[in-house]
Amino acid sequence: MKESLSLVQRLSAHPDSRCWFVSWSPNGTLLASCGGDKAIRIWGKEGESWVCKSVLQDGHQRTVRKVAWSPCGNYLASASFDATTCIWKKKSDEFESLTVLEGHENEVKCVAWAPSGNLLATCSRDKSVWVWEVDEEDEYECVTVVNSHTQDVKHVVWHPTQELLASASYDNNICVYKEEDDDWECRATLTGHTSTVWSLSFDATGQKLASCSDDRTVKIWRECPAESGQGDVSWKCVCTLSGYHSRTVYDVAWCHLTGALATACGDDAVRVFKEDETADPEQPVFSLAAHMAKAHSQDVNCVAWNPKEAGLLASCSDDGDIAIWRFQEED
Amino acid sequence: MASHFSGVLQLTDLDDFITPSQECVKPVKVEKKQGKSVAKIQIEDDGSYVQVNQDGGRQKLEKAKITLNDCLACSGCITSAESVLITQQSHEELFKVLRRNKASETEHKVVVVSVSPQSRASLAAYYDLSSSETGRRLTSFFKGLGVHHVFDTSFSRTFSLLESQKEFVERFQRREQDSKALPMLTSACPGWICYAEKTHGEFILPYISTTRSPQQMMGSLVKDFFAGQQGLSPQQIYHVAVMPCFDKKLEASRSDFHMNKAETREVDCVITSGMVCTIMFFLCMYVLKMLEEENVSLNDVKPAPLDTMFSSVHGDDFLRHSGSGSGGYLHHVFINAAKQLFGEEVKELTYKTLRNKDFQEVTLEKDGVVLLCFASAYGFRNIQNLVQKLKRGKSPYHFVEVMACPSGCLNGGGQVKPLPGQNPKELLQKVDELYRADSPSVPEEDTHVAELYQSWLQSVGSERAKELLHTQYHTVEKMTNGLTMKW
Repeated sequence: MKESLSLVQRLSAHPDSRCWFVSWSPNGTLLASCGGDKAIRIWGKEGESWVCKSVLQDGHQRTVRKVAWSPCGNYLASASFDATTCIWKKKSDEFESLTVLEGHENEVKCVAWAPSGNLLATCSRDKSVWVWEVDEEDEYECVTVVNSHTQDVKHVVWHPTQELLASASYDNNICVYKEEDDDWECRATLTGHTSTVWSLSFDATGQKLASCSDDRTVKIWRECPAESGQGDVSWKCVCTLSGYHSRTVYDVAWCHLTGALATACGDDAVRVFKEDETADPEQPVFSLAAHMAKAHSQDVNCVAWNPKEAGLLASCSDDGDIAIWRFQEED
Repeated sequence: MASHFSGVLQLTDLDDFITPSQECVKPVKVEKKQGKSVAKIQIEDDGSYVQVNQDGGRQKLEKAKITLNDCLACSGCITSAESVLITQQSHEELFKVLRRNKASETEHKVVVVSVSPQSRASLAAYYDLSSSETGRRLTSFFKGLGVHHVFDTSFSRTFSLLESQKEFVERFQRREQDSKALPMLTSACPGWICYAEKTHGEFILPYISTTRSPQQMMGSLVKDFFAGQQGLSPQQIYHVAVMPCFDKKLEASRSDFHMNKAETREVDCVITSGMVCTIMFFLCMYVLKMLEEENVSLNDVKPAPLDTMFSSVHGDDFLRHSGSGSGGYLHHVFINAAKQLFGEEVKELTYKTLRNKDFQEVTLEKDGVVLLCFASAYGFRNIQNLVQKLKRGKSPYHFVEVMACPSGCLNGGGQVKPLPGQNPKELLQKVDELYRADSPSVPEEDTHVAELYQSWLQSVGSERAKELLHTQYHTVEKMTNGLTMKW
């Protein structure tokens, strides 16, 4: 196999700590990172290299587990083990803490903005998933608290075009939620993984969802018409990528520009898979297109595709580093 | 025990709306036996643990037990562990007392059952009867089991409403001096109280009304007034409440409602509406040998005249309170406050739905100025928003009727569950209609209650009234436990 993942730059992002997560701004110019040092760093390009533009400190008392940009790019949300979610507002190059969302009983594990930018989802070790609504005055109100998981909820992700939310948990399941009659309900539970589901990613159309797990597999789920009717949401597993990862798969990211699927693994590697476009969509086939064995010196926690520049991939690790990669397709 | 009932009816499907969210973290004392031997622990097919010693000896290990009091004192879960609720305050306890009464003259207890109007409505929907007819038949059913008196907690709720009205006017008048006088938050929902004590402690507790819930008002009435009147000591009475909610069991267990001198609780046992249904089903099947019959239910029970001593009735029919199915606190406090504080006669309240149907607002305006701003906030999400608004100093409210369950008490976690295929929303609608079909009564016009204020409590606002009709709340310190850390 031709090596098609090349290193652009390595950044010591959260030295002497872990770098938990990275997130590209919607226009692809900024990268936010967060870590065990309770800090959030914003990275931007100066000339040919990526440099730290600002450090957001004092927002959290404990590890910052995830960060997420609002679709407009003017707000950043951070989820922390201190049980709070911070909302930061971008003012030219600076960020100011706008509000702190309290309510979760303990560690907040993930935060995600809905495509409209009006809704925000958070999840926690307290087993609950919350949806918050934002009004014009930047006031946040809780719209729902759903308790569909029986364990720690690791990840939440919104459908790219609809107000449909998915969550992944330590209970090995994935839940899909929709608003129903002025409250949110779990409309489908996706079972199949045999251990913790760590992360989820929708493809560009939202018809497919990728999940990755401690069971060392990646599963591809496809929305299908419900058998029982009544507009119920139904997803079935159409493909399982097994045998590629030798440890827990911590993150999966679907590039909305190229359709490439990247994974972050506990075996220190970053992998990229490509879908065979000639295969039956009901039975998709994925092949390993790139495998960077020692991408980091420790567990890789996160992979993120730049939303505007095709093939630009960021990864981060327990080693505290961010690595920026270029994925080149074979001709 | 609950176990032999499960599988047939919905017993295991315990549905508290503020869910216990963590593993039980309460440390338990383990009885260590002396010895240095190495042993293996085996898990048997039935789930019990057996210690196998090196010499092959086997010893069944005891399970650690958590009591309701442990739950109340611990910050581990928000409300309660269901297994604890089911074992410690079950109908089995009631049956024990009833059996003992039949077996022995000396240990005889007077058994009182107080039925909430929400439970009556839920059972009425299940058996397709009116609320009053359900009440008459429940009276007959419980008396048939050996219960001496069957009361109605609408009656004791009249005390709750009158005391809430009075408390609000007092709080409103001292709002300038006391920054925590308003908003007054209702206290009848034990799920909410538990959450407030465990999560927001000192910040939120001063806002909470000290007025007792109808269940605990009835507790006072039965174990203080009624006991005195009957020449009984409080522990000679066994008092059972039938409630729409599992958390009412926790409320009954609070140390504030334990009569220390008499060593008894004001309410000894709480059973849910759903459990009454289950009891009836099994009694009909096994005790009355009615297995062959089609109708094994309340429908076969002949109605009995109502116990009018502590019941809100007119003739042979029950009366209800206006306003919400959760007690109508907002309604009654609003009307009274408008009149007492501003001389306004309010005939009808206009509820404005805010973010969702469980968050509503009622205001009193005069010449464009908002004089009173009341709200009802039901369900965890709305409680969250209310608490956050308070913390940010952005609450415009003078009074909030707070309930932990979405849709309030008629939709309580202890109500009879929908039958398979039955739409839960339609069932709730039916329960609501049945609840509202009773004729309304006005607390201020209840002469029986007015007499009790004189004969039992000396007067309105007396020290005795404060002691017997009010309660207090306690902050539960957060336990921090490093062992529960997970990434």
